[in-house]
Amino acid sequence: MRKAKILVVDDEVEFASALAERLQLRGYDTKAVFRGEDTLAIAKSAPPDIILLDLKMPGMNGIEVLMTIRQFAPDIEVILLTGHIDLRERIEGMRIDDFNYIMKPVDMAELLEKIEKAIEKHR
Amino acid sequence: MKIRDKLFFAFGFYILLAVLGGFLAYTELSTITKKLKLVETADDMTNHFLEARRFEKNYLLFRDQDSFQEFKVYMGRLQGDIDKIRAEIIKESGKENYEKLNNTIAEYDRLVDSIPENFESQRKHISSLIDLGREIEMTLRGKELEIFLVLRRYEKNLIMYKDRTAYETFTKTFASMDKGIAKELKNYGGLVERLFQLFVNEHATIEALRLKAREIESFTVSLSRRERENIDRILTISVRVLLAALFAIILLGTIVNIRLASSIATPIRKLERVTKKVATGDFSELIEVKGKDEITSLEISFNQMEDRLKDSLSSLELAVKNLHEKQEELVEAEKLASLGRIAAGVAHEINNPLAIINEKAGLLQDILLMSGDLEQKEKFLNLIEGIVTSVNRCRAITHRLLGFVRRMEVTFEAMDINETVREVREFLGTDISLKSIRFEMNLKEGLPQVRSDKVQVEQILLNIIKNAIDAVEEGGLVQVETAMKEGNTVQILIRDNGPGIPKDQLKRIFEPFFTTKERGKGTGLGLFVSYGIMKKLGGAILVESEIGKGTSFVVEIPVQPRV
Repeated sequence: MRKAKILVVDDEVEFASALAERLQLRGYDTKAVFRGEDTLAIAKSAPPDIILLDLKMPGMNGIEVLMTIRQFAPDIEVILLTGHIDLRERIEGMRIDDFNYIMKPVDMAELLEKIEKAIEKHR
Repeated sequence: MKIRDKLFFAFGFYILLAVLGGFLAYTELSTITKKLKLVETADDMTNHFLEARRFEKNYLLFRDQDSFQEFKVYMGRLQGDIDKIRAEIIKESGKENYEKLNNTIAEYDRLVDSIPENFESQRKHISSLIDLGREIEMTLRGKELEIFLVLRRYEKNLIMYKDRTAYETFTKTFASMDKGIAKELKNYGGLVERLFQLFVNEHATIEALRLKAREIESFTVSLSRRERENIDRILTISVRVLLAALFAIILLGTIVNIRLASSIATPIRKLERVTKKVATGDFSELIEVKGKDEITSLEISFNQMEDRLKDSLSSLELAVKNLHEKQEELVEAEKLASLGRIAAGVAHEINNPLAIINEKAGLLQDILLMSGDLEQKEKFLNLIEGIVTSVNRCRAITHRLLGFVRRMEVTFEAMDINETVREVREFLGTDISLKSIRFEMNLKEGLPQVRSDKVQVEQILLNIIKNAIDAVEEGGLVQVETAMKEGNTVQILIRDNGPGIPKDQLKRIFEPFFTTKERGKGTGLGLFVSYGIMKKLGGAILVESEIGKGTSFVVEIPVQPRV
C-alpha cells in the first residue's frame, strides 16, 4: 500500500518539524512547510493526501489556504490545527466545528485516528 | 372654631372689657365730680352763713350800716348756694326739710331785718330820754332833783345793762316818786318803759334769731358732712369695683390668652414632635385630628404627606436594594467576562510553546522507544513521561480555559432535567460505589421540558455532583432533588453532608483557579466555568454551607431562556 502523504503547514517551525518527524516515524510520508504560500506550490507539484493546516499564520493565513485548496484541489483532506475554537467564526458560512479539526497541543492518538478516518474517506 | 374667629373674639372681648372699664370709670368720675361740686357748694353755704353771722354779730355790736349790708350780701350768697343745689338738697334731706330750711332762713332774715327798726326806735327813745331828762332836771330842785338824778342813774344803768334788774330798780324808784313834781315825768317814765320794752324785744329777737341761726348752721354743716360721706362712700365703692374689674380682666384675659395660645401652640407642638420623628425616619405616629380649624387641614395634609413619604421611602429603599443587586450581578458578569478574556488570551498564547514541547517530548519518546538498549533508557523514558504528563496537565487547563470562551455560544434545545440527572448518576456510578456513598435522588415528577444547552447542563451537574462525592467521607450522604420554582424555573438541589465550606472560602468559590483540593487534583476552573455558563443560559448557581453540617448547591434553569 502506498504510504499516505501528509503535509504539515504551521508557521511554528519547531512544532511543525517535530510533528512531521513523529508522523514520519509512524510510517507516513510527511513534509512540513512554514508558510501558507508554499502550500499551494506543493499542492500543485506533489499533492498530499492530507494537509494538517494551522489557521493562524502570518502572511497568507490558514483560511485563505483552505479556500484555495478546496477550490483547486478539493480531493485533498484538510485537518485544521487550531489553538482555540471560536464558534462565531464562519468559513464560507460554515462553523469551525463543521470542519475536521484538532486542537493544539495535539493528542497523537486522536490525530492518528483522524488521519486514518480521512484516508478511509479518501479511498 | 377657626383660629381667626377665636382671635377675633378674643380681641373683641378685650375691647369690650376696656370699654366697660372706661365706661365704669367715667360714670364713677362723673358722679364724684358732681358730688364734689355739691360738697363745695355745701361748704360755701356754711362759710357764707358764718360770714353772715359774723356781720350780724358785728351789726348787733356796732350797729353800723356796713355790717348790715355785708350781712345782707352774705345772706344773698347763701340763698344763691341753696338755689344752686336745690334739687340735691331735696334729694338728700327731703322736701320737708328743704321747706323747713327755707322757712328758717326766711325767719332768721326777717328777725335780723327787724333789728334796725328796733335799734332806730331805741336811739330815738334814748335821745328823747336824754332831752326829756335834762328838761326835767332843770325844773327840779333840792331833794326832788336828787331823787330824779338817782332815777337818771338807774336809767343810765338800764341803758347800759339793758336788763330786768336795772329796770326793776328804776321802776321801784320811779313808782315811789311823786309824779306831780314835773309835768314830763310821766312821759319820761313812759319812755323808759317803752325803751325797756325795746330792749326786751331786742333780746328776744336776738335769742330767736340765734336759735334760727343755729338751726341753719347745723343744717349746712350736716349737709357738708353728708355730702363728704357720700363722696367717701362712692370713692370706696368705686375703688373696690375697679379693683374687682381689674382682677376680673386680668383673670379672664389670662384664661382667654392661655386658651387661645394653647389652641394654636398645642397642635403646632404636636406637628413639631411628629415632624421630628419623621425626620429621623420614624413613621409610626400619625397626627390625631380633632376639631375643625385652619390647623386641621394642615394636620390632615401632614398625615397624608407622612403616609406618602413612608411609602416612597419603602419603595425607594426597595428600588435601591434591587439596583444594588443588579449592580453586583453586572459587576460579577463583567468580572467573569474580563477574567475569561484574559484567561483565554493567556491560554491561547501558551498553547503554541506547549504544542512545541508536546511534539518534542513525543518525538523523544518515539525515538527512544524505537532505539535499542541504551544506558539509562528507562530513566530517560520516565523523565519524558513526566514531561508529557505535565504538558497534558497544561493542555487540560488551557483547553478548559479556552473551552469557557468557546462555550460562550450556547445552543438551545428541549431537554428533560430529571433524565439528565439520571444520566449523570450513571456516569458517576463507579465513584459512588467506591466510597460506598448513599446517593439519594428525589426527582419531582411532571417537570416541564426545559429549553437549554443539554451538554452544558450535563457538564455542570457532573461537575457539582462530582465535587459533592469528593467532599464526603466514606459512607457519606449526597442528595439530589429537583423541583419547580415560581412556575418558570427548574431547581436542582445537590446536598452533601461533608465538612462544609468556611465562609471566607465560600465567597471565592466561583473564582477561577480557586480550588480546595490538593495540588495536582482539579484545575479550580470547574465552578468558574459552570457559573459563567449558567449565567449565559439565563440561570444561576447558588451555594450555602455550614461547617460540620455540609454544603448545598442549587442550580436554577429557566424553562424558557430569557432573551
